[in-house]
Amino acid sequence: MSEKTTHFGFQTIEENEKARKVGEVFHSVARKYDLMNDVMSAGMHRGWKRFAVEVSGISEGDRVLDIAGGSGDLSRLFATKVGNTGSVVLTDINASMLAVGRDRLIDDGVSVPALQCDAEKLPFPDQHFDCVIVAFGLRNMTHKDKALTEMQRVLKVGGRLLVLEFSQIWKPLAPLYDAYSFKLLPLMGKLFAKDADSYQYLAESIRMHPDQETLKQMMLDAGFRKVDYYNLAAGAVALHKGWKT
Amino acid sequence: MFKPALTRLLNHLINQNSWARPQLQHFAGKAVRFNIPPVSGTLTILEDGGLAMAGESIEADAIVTIPLPVALRLLANDDAATTLTTLEGDTELAAALSKVLRSMQWEYEEDLSKLIGDIPAHEFAEFGRKAVDEVKKQAFNAAEMLAEYWQEEQPLIAKKRHVEQFIKDVDALRDDTERLAKRVEKLAEKITPQSNENPSS
Repeated sequence: MSEKTTHFGFQTIEENEKARKVGEVFHSVARKYDLMNDVMSAGMHRGWKRFAVEVSGISEGDRVLDIAGGSGDLSRLFATKVGNTGSVVLTDINASMLAVGRDRLIDDGVSVPALQCDAEKLPFPDQHFDCVIVAFGLRNMTHKDKALTEMQRVLKVGGRLLVLEFSQIWKPLAPLYDAYSFKLLPLMGKLFAKDADSYQYLAESIRMHPDQETLKQMMLDAGFRKVDYYNLAAGAVALHKGWKT
Repeated sequence: MFKPALTRLLNHLINQNSWARPQLQHFAGKAVRFNIPPVSGTLTILEDGGLAMAGESIEADAIVTIPLPVALRLLANDDAATTLTTLEGDTELAAALSKVLRSMQWEYEEDLSKLIGDIPAHEFAEFGRKAVDEVKKQAFNAAEMLAEYWQEEQPLIAKKRHVEQFIKDVDALRDDTERLAKRVEKLAEKITPQSNENPSS
């Protein structure tokens, strides 16, 4: 692959095309995103997100940045933890996803600022947040290394980055997982969200995402001094935690 | 797979024992491995002083090894058993975490009250406490009875005073042996110079 191309699922496309194409996918799935997440993960994504909040070590008064926070699930959980003295900022590059998340939080009486921005160019000063989290968003970013470096920049010393993302499943389960991803997932997308292509992209993008050890190394390269990861659901999903020291 | 559930449980316990947070917060980000053969697990201290199971790739800053019989004695509140545990690495961290884990109490009555209400929870807890006390009492009685049987009727285990006497005898024998060895040594010294002088004369 040349320097000017990148992955979009299994396709190779121009780098400047990726953000638009990913944007189209999420514009398309925004309204049914949570329903599909529940269907695809049998509700497990809620447990994974709660676990991420638990290991964040966030306490009252802390500042949290939720990147690619779309549906607002994590912002809601963090808002409860940081209390009135802390703050949570919900961001997403996609306006449709952000609107869905923002409206849902307002409907639930949770007030957090919602900001449309690119994770590769975060509009925040250096050393501003105690915790940055990106859940199921990193794989859609064109330059993951740039995004990780930006996340490291906006973290305070002692702050931590949490990356919740699909990863490499335990080998013996791989054939079953492949069948699920490439046969059942697009079919469910067609039935529940009337959008098989977007879910085909989701399955492909999961396969193209770095595995646990590769992502750990990428985080170390971005300037995190220590990185640990948890395998969830036999490695189908992994939670990486990096410390800035 | 069990890490999320165990982490949730640990944080629940920490929330019930709020005194523990400030004690652990000082060690935020560090990890301690507990080896209780055949099982082992690593705990990491969170930035808010909470506890979580560590991930797959973390390197422990300290290792605590507790043989299974010692772990059972610790569970039975036998303080003497603490001397039989082994601490490696950052011993201050390991000692602090071990102390917190041993001092934490599970407020099960409080948890139960959220499910079935205060009064039934208290009654259940009271019943549970009485049942545990009774089981402990009966187990102690049975152990005493068996000990007596094996000491008096069918001597399989030694009585305390016999063991003490045996230890005293062993000590006396060791002292006597050492004294004898010294005397033999001195005699040998006396003999050796003479035997050295003889060939030269």
